[in-house]
Amino acid sequence: MTDTPLETDDATALERAVTSTDANTLGRYWLGAGSLTLLVSLVAGVLVALERLDLGGAEVFGSADEIFQFWSAHRVGLVLLSIVPILVGLGTAVAPLQVGSDSIAFPRMAAFSFWTWLIGAGTTVTGFLIDGGLGTPGAGSQRQAVALTLVGLLMVIGGLLGATVSLLTTIVCGRVTGLTLARIPLFSWTLLVAGTFWLLTLPVLAANAVLAYVDLRGRTAVRFGAEDAIWEQLSWAFSHPQVYAFALPLVGIAFDIVPVSVRSRLATHDVVMVLTGMLGVVGFGAYAQSFFDTPGTPVMNEAIYVVDAFAAALVALALFGGLADTLRRGAANLGPGADNRPPAPMVLSVLAMLLLLAATIVGALRAVDPFDLLATSATGAQMTLTMGAAFVGAMAGTLWWGDRIVGRSTSQGLGLLAGLVAVVGVLLVGVADLLSGFMGQNDFTGASVVAAGSPDSGVDSLNLVALVGSVLLLVGAVGWIANGIRRLTGATASPDPWGGHTLEWAADPSTVEVTSDRPLLDLLETDTLETSGAAS
Amino acid sequence: MAAGTEVAPVEAPFARPRTLLFGTALATGAAVMFFGALFSLYFSVRNDTLAWGAEWFPEGSIELKPGGSLMSTFAMAAVTMAWAHYSSIHDDRIHGYIALGLTALLGIAAINQTVFYFNDIGLPIDHSVATTLFYVIVGAHMVMTGIAVLWIGLVLLRAFGGQATGRHQDLVISVSIFWYAVVAVYAVIWLFIYIAK
Repeated sequence: MTDTPLETDDATALERAVTSTDANTLGRYWLGAGSLTLLVSLVAGVLVALERLDLGGAEVFGSADEIFQFWSAHRVGLVLLSIVPILVGLGTAVAPLQVGSDSIAFPRMAAFSFWTWLIGAGTTVTGFLIDGGLGTPGAGSQRQAVALTLVGLLMVIGGLLGATVSLLTTIVCGRVTGLTLARIPLFSWTLLVAGTFWLLTLPVLAANAVLAYVDLRGRTAVRFGAEDAIWEQLSWAFSHPQVYAFALPLVGIAFDIVPVSVRSRLATHDVVMVLTGMLGVVGFGAYAQSFFDTPGTPVMNEAIYVVDAFAAALVALALFGGLADTLRRGAANLGPGADNRPPAPMVLSVLAMLLLLAATIVGALRAVDPFDLLATSATGAQMTLTMGAAFVGAMAGTLWWGDRIVGRSTSQGLGLLAGLVAVVGVLLVGVADLLSGFMGQNDFTGASVVAAGSPDSGVDSLNLVALVGSVLLLVGAVGWIANGIRRLTGATASPDPWGGHTLEWAADPSTVEVTSDRPLLDLLETDTLETSGAAS
Repeated sequence: MAAGTEVAPVEAPFARPRTLLFGTALATGAAVMFFGALFSLYFSVRNDTLAWGAEWFPEGSIELKPGGSLMSTFAMAAVTMAWAHYSSIHDDRIHGYIALGLTALLGIAAINQTVFYFNDIGLPIDHSVATTLFYVIVGAHMVMTGIAVLWIGLVLLRAFGGQATGRHQDLVISVSIFWYAVVAVYAVIWLFIYIAK
C-alpha cells in the first residue's frame, strides 16, 4: 500500500491517522464515520415517526418547521451522510483488492475527500441542529444556519465526488493483467456503474445547492434560496429514481457473496453486468426536479418518469431471478447434510435484494396516476425500502469482507441477528408508509391533520407500526456497529474464510493468472482436475 | 550494422496505466455536469419566463462586447494549450514553458475581465431570477477557470522539473482536457447568455 512519509517515520498515532492514504485505513474511516452519522439520521427518523403518532399537532417538536427540519435531516442523513459513505468505504477497502491493485488511485485525493466529507457532514448536522436545514415550509428557520447547511452539503458532495473519482480510476486503471472489464468482480462493477451515475448526478445536486446558497446569502431571495423552496429543488436526490443509483452497489455485494456461498459458478455474469448498467441508467434522477416541469404537467407525471419506475421494477426482478437461479443451482451444497449452512452474509444479501425488489415495486405503484401516491407517504416508503436494502447489503458486505479488511473475525450470529432486525424494521416502515399513502397521508405530515392530507383514521395504527419499524431499524444499526466494534478485538481471522472466487481473497493477486471472472475458482478446479487425473 | 556487434534486446515499452488521464476525464465530466445542470435550469426558467410574456434580462443590460472579448481570450488560450501539447509531444521544453505560461496568463486575464465586468455591469444579483442565474453561471465558470490556472501552474512547475516530456505527456494532456472543457463551457455561456440572452 502507498504510505505517506508520516506513516513510516516517528509520527504520532494522531498524525498517522490524519495523514493516512492507505486504502484499507480510509475504507475503515468511511465505514466508521458513516456508521455514526447513520445513527444520527436514524434517531431523527425515530423522532419524526414518534411525532406522526399524533397528526393533529406538534407534540415532540415545537412547530411544523422543526418537524420539517428533522424530517429532511433524516433523508439527507440516510442517503448522503450514511449509506453512500458506507458503500464508498466498503468499496475503498475492497475494490482495489478485487482488481489486484496495490493501492487506491490518487491516494492523497482519496484521503482529502474523506476529510472534506467528514467536515462537511459535521457542518451539515450542525446546520440542521441550529435551526437551519434545507429550508422549511413556513420559512421559520435561521437563514445563516440554512446557508451553513448548504455549505456542509456542498462539502459532502465534493468529498463523495473525490472519493468516487479515486475509486473508479482504481477499478479501471489499477486492474492486473488479464482482468478485463468484463471479468471484474460484480461488486467492483456495480461500484463502477453506480460511481459513474454519482458523478453525473451529484454535480447537479451541487448546482442546485450553489444556486440556493447564492440566492439566500445577504439579501431577500429571488427564488432559488427562498426557504420554502430549497427542499423542493433538492428532494429529487432523496427519492425515486435517484435512490436506485445510490443503492446499486448492493447488487454487486449480493452477486459476489451468493455464488461463493452456494459453491456454484455464476452462470450469468455478463447478463448481471448489463442489468446493473440498466439499473444505473434508470436510477439517473437529476431530471426529476420541479424546474423541468412542463406547464400543466409535473415532471413526475411525464411518461419518462412512469416508464423509469416500471423499468426499475423489471430490472430488479430480472436481477433477483438471476440470484434465485444461482441459489437453486447451488441448493444441494447448502443445508442439512451438505455441511455448509447458509452463511449470514448470504442470507442478508438475498434479503437486501428482496428489499430492493420491493422498493422498485413501490416505486412503480407510486408512479401509477390513478393511485395518486406521488405526494404521499409512499414516497418515504420507497426511499426507506431502497436505502434500507442498501444498508442491509452493506451489513452483508461488512460481514463478508470484514475479516479481510480488519484481519479479525467477529460474531456472524450477532451480525445475522442485527441484519434480520434491520430487515424487519425496513419492511415495517415500508409497508406501513405505503398503506398510509394509499389512505391519503402526505409525505410530510406537518403539524395538523389538514397538513397531513386528512388521511383515513386507520393511519394512526399504521404510523405506530412505522414507529416500531424505525426503532427496529435503529436497533439493527446499533447491533451492526456493536458487532463491528467487537471485530476490532476479535480473534485473528483466516485470510480466506469463505473459499472466495475473486482476487481479493488471493494472498498475492499478482501471482494469479486471470482466466475468467472467477480466477481463484479456476485455480481450484484446475487443481482438482489435476489431482483427480493423477489419482486415476 | 557490422557483423558480430551485440545488440541488446529491445524490450516492449512499458504501457503506463493512464491513471491521471482517466481521473481527469472523470473530474472534468463531473464539472461539465455541474454546468449542464445550471444551463438546463437557465433554459428551463427562461422558457417559462418568456412564455408568460415577462422580461428576462433588462433591455440593454447584457452587452455583447465583454462576452466577445472574453471569448477571444478563451479562444487564444485554447490555441496556446494546443501549442503546449504539441511542444510536449516533440520534447520542445522551451516552447512548452512559454505555451503553458501564456495559457495561464490568458486564464488570469479572463478572470480579470469577468471581475471587471461584474463591477461594471450595474445589475444587482437580486434583480431577478435571470440575473441570479447569470451571476451564478458566470461566477462558477470564473472559479473553474481559476482552478484550471492553478493546475496549469502546477504542471508548469513539474515541467520545469523535467516531468512533462514526450514520453510522459499525461500531465499536459490532463490539464488540456480540463482547459478545453473550460473553453467549451464558456463558448456555451457566450452563445446562449451573452448573445442569445
